[in-house]
Amino acid sequence: MERETSPRRQFIKSGMLAAASLAAGTTLSAQESVDPEEAATPQAGPITSPPVSDGTKKSPVRDEYDGFSRFKPSRGNDPDSDYYLGKLVPGFRTTEEGPAPFIAPDLEKLPYVMKDGAKQFELVAQNVRREFLPGYEMDVWGYNGSMPGPTIEVTQGDRVRIIVHNELPEPTTVHWHGFELPVQQDGSMTLTQNPIMPGKSYVYEFDIHEEGTFFYHSHVAMQEAFGMVGWFIVHPKKVFDPPVDRDFGLLFQNFHIKANQTISNSWSMDWNWHTINGRSGPFTTPLVVKHGERVRIRLLDFSPMQHHPIHLHGHTFWLTGREGARTPKSAWIPRNTELVGVAQAAEFEFIANNPGDWMFHCHMVHHMMNHMVEQVGPRIREGSNVDAYMTNLDQRPPVDMKHSEGFATPGYPQGMQGMQMSEKFMKAIWSRREVQGMRATWPKSVHGLMTLLRVLPDDLYQQVMETDDVPKGAIFEEIVQRFGTPETYQKAPLMKMGH
Amino acid sequence: MDASILSKLLGSLAISIALLAIPVQGQQLAPTAQQTIEKMLTEPQDIGLDTAAPGTRWNGLTTNQGNATEVHTLNGMLELAARSNPTILQAQYQITGQLAKAQQAGLYPNPMIAYIAENIGVEGTAGEWQGAELEQRFVTAGKLQLSRDKYLQRAKVAEHLAVAQQFRVCNDVRIHYFKTLAAQQILDLQKELLKTAEDDLATTREMFNAGQANQVDLHRANSELRRQQLSVLQAENRIRREFLQLSSLVGMELAFLPLSGDLRTASDLIDYDTVAQRVLSQSPEILAAHSKLREDQITINRESVEWVPDVIVGGGVGRNFEANDTTGALSVRMELPIYDRNQGTYRQAQADYVRQQKEILRTEMDLKMRLAMQYETYLTAAQHVLTYEEMVLPQLKQAYATSLQGYKEDRLAWPHVLHSYRDYTLRRIEYTEQLLARRTSEVLINGFLLHGGLNPAPGATPPGHLDATPNPR
Repeated sequence: MERETSPRRQFIKSGMLAAASLAAGTTLSAQESVDPEEAATPQAGPITSPPVSDGTKKSPVRDEYDGFSRFKPSRGNDPDSDYYLGKLVPGFRTTEEGPAPFIAPDLEKLPYVMKDGAKQFELVAQNVRREFLPGYEMDVWGYNGSMPGPTIEVTQGDRVRIIVHNELPEPTTVHWHGFELPVQQDGSMTLTQNPIMPGKSYVYEFDIHEEGTFFYHSHVAMQEAFGMVGWFIVHPKKVFDPPVDRDFGLLFQNFHIKANQTISNSWSMDWNWHTINGRSGPFTTPLVVKHGERVRIRLLDFSPMQHHPIHLHGHTFWLTGREGARTPKSAWIPRNTELVGVAQAAEFEFIANNPGDWMFHCHMVHHMMNHMVEQVGPRIREGSNVDAYMTNLDQRPPVDMKHSEGFATPGYPQGMQGMQMSEKFMKAIWSRREVQGMRATWPKSVHGLMTLLRVLPDDLYQQVMETDDVPKGAIFEEIVQRFGTPETYQKAPLMKMGH
Repeated sequence: MDASILSKLLGSLAISIALLAIPVQGQQLAPTAQQTIEKMLTEPQDIGLDTAAPGTRWNGLTTNQGNATEVHTLNGMLELAARSNPTILQAQYQITGQLAKAQQAGLYPNPMIAYIAENIGVEGTAGEWQGAELEQRFVTAGKLQLSRDKYLQRAKVAEHLAVAQQFRVCNDVRIHYFKTLAAQQILDLQKELLKTAEDDLATTREMFNAGQANQVDLHRANSELRRQQLSVLQAENRIRREFLQLSSLVGMELAFLPLSGDLRTASDLIDYDTVAQRVLSQSPEILAAHSKLREDQITINRESVEWVPDVIVGGGVGRNFEANDTTGALSVRMELPIYDRNQGTYRQAQADYVRQQKEILRTEMDLKMRLAMQYETYLTAAQHVLTYEEMVLPQLKQAYATSLQGYKEDRLAWPHVLHSYRDYTLRRIEYTEQLLARRTSEVLINGFLLHGGLNPAPGATPPGHLDATPNPR
């Protein structure tokens, strides 16, 4: 079907000239720029590559479906329409191309070998160090040097053999959460098998007739709380329709780790560190998609005892399935926030029709930050700084007993003053390709169980994902130029870290 | 109902409504009752140190320690004490007194001269004999030399006791110097705790304003601050007391200045056996006791010859008016030691000798007992100092530094930091006390366990001892 040339698309095209003007401060050039007409066309390619538009070919998808536009915030004309809120609006990828690659940011995939007709994986239970934030390496338990463990990815109908090696100093088993497998393979400690003793191995083998979002985890409770979990994604034999262009996985966890400590207290009833795929905001890697793509996000809550109301900014998503199975389309529901309980998974699908940098986060206030402490002491006192205390440990500075004017308001302070981000910390935060061109102050607002969804027009996507040294704020400002009201835009003040 | 009553009721009701309405109309709109909270956050109004126990602060000694350019030194104090402590002079006069006794005891008896008139009026004469006689006592058996030797030996005893008194004074000056020095350091540390208590109150108020503390916590923080202010005053009182006592030991009024010095010591650990041997062989008390034993031996010798009679020879020239002739007179006298051969005093001297032998033993035992007690204090303090220096204080300092870092990283609450610093400072006070205890014990052990620098300097004569007066023998 020939794609329509909407005014907005014309604007996008003309906006390329403005984007090209960024070249003074970026690597974007006329040669490197991509025609937005081309960018909107899906491209067949290896499963691990994101679809690249090719405007010279006929696109199987349209810009608009019954009043719903994949390129601007819209609902459609009829709630009963298959395309209302983009419900069945396909992505650029076709079903023939197979499922979109599953990407769990910051996590690796577990390789396998075909042996005796089965995909054979090797999983090593061991203690690992995981950098929750730059400079904050925590001692947790996981698999194959990773917490969460590496992703097992198979296709419906596969036979899998997983050899589990126990390098922990105590017994373990692995439970394959959600699979309808033979009881001997269930991994329930002592109920269905003897524990895998330290230094020993155990082989699990079963056929997979399910499809969907699964996971594996230790079936020792404290080991679960200590991080021993990983994705187990089963792609359907018959690719779901409508096909998605992006298939992300976000695994939410909580830990309790004291200050100046790296070992999590899995016995705790309180939780002060929050991770998504083993990292805390702002170290979580944003989900970067192209404008107009159909996106699936699988979300697993593997917190020990905290449920998470997950909220996506700027979009309305369809809840297309839970961990049990894919939900029939007639039962899909549109949501802005979905409560995901402990050990539950949820699948969200939506058309990324609203360009920008959007928060995607648990809405529990205390989960939107890490290691909260009372905001008292030098941090909130005028002319006071903790460095003054650190210069002489044998004598402390006197304290001024007078209150600042803020104390005239009961409840002051409510604003968290925030942790001091060192230059090294900021350098690590900005080192990821996925955050290029964002506003300079973005790290101040993303903490704990927070990550970002970046919806970028093709050319900006290319700048972010395929070029280097995009200046802070350049991409965001360009989006404002094209889709916002630039006359009212105020740039973010540069943070003092020089990054 | 009576109409008038009803009208009164309605009237009063109208007044009540009007009264109720007045404050409502005049009331300023405020989101919350700020006055109450502000009051909670500012009471008590003045929490300065001067308001703690007002009117009772000891202001007898004042100095600006921080800016003082002059300081007292230990050597300066010792020099002053050597000149001014009255007991040192007393001890010197004890020696002088014994030497004077020795002089007196060895003096030879004076001759006697007499005019004699016998039988006056006999036969109508002026007298049978009138004339002058000269009489001289000849001391036998070397009694005078023995007496002189006895008191010269007592002078030696007094010399040892004077040395002991010097140790008493010097030891006490050292100890009180270190006590004052420790008091200075503890005052500084208490002021650190005061700043922490002030911070605790400020923090509690901050937490109160954020709903993280309540009125109970505020009252507690106010109370704790007062208590800490009292601790500072107590430390001030202590430093003044120590300095005044030091001044008394020195023996003169001293202007209050900060003391320089270090409570730490570079000395090796004192070995008990070595120091016990030294104390028992070189203590001035032991040396005095041995000298006293020699003096008691001389006393025995002296008393053993007391029974030997002196010879008293007299003679003269006179006029015998009855015979109208000039004649001479001669007499030789001596005591016959028939009943009193000084045997009682001799036995007493012998008893004194044996008693003094036991006194030496008693002194040794007493020194051992005092040394055992002092060494226990010393060893305990040395163990504390060593362990505090190597482990306790570095660990607590690191705990404080780590808690500060945790706070800086927004992972630890400020009250934890305050707790760490308070803990570190309290242990530093303990460390200072142990340093003082070690120094004090070290001074006493090295100074033959002598103290009491303002007690009267003891004499060479023990209580109840035989002593002849007014003419010593």
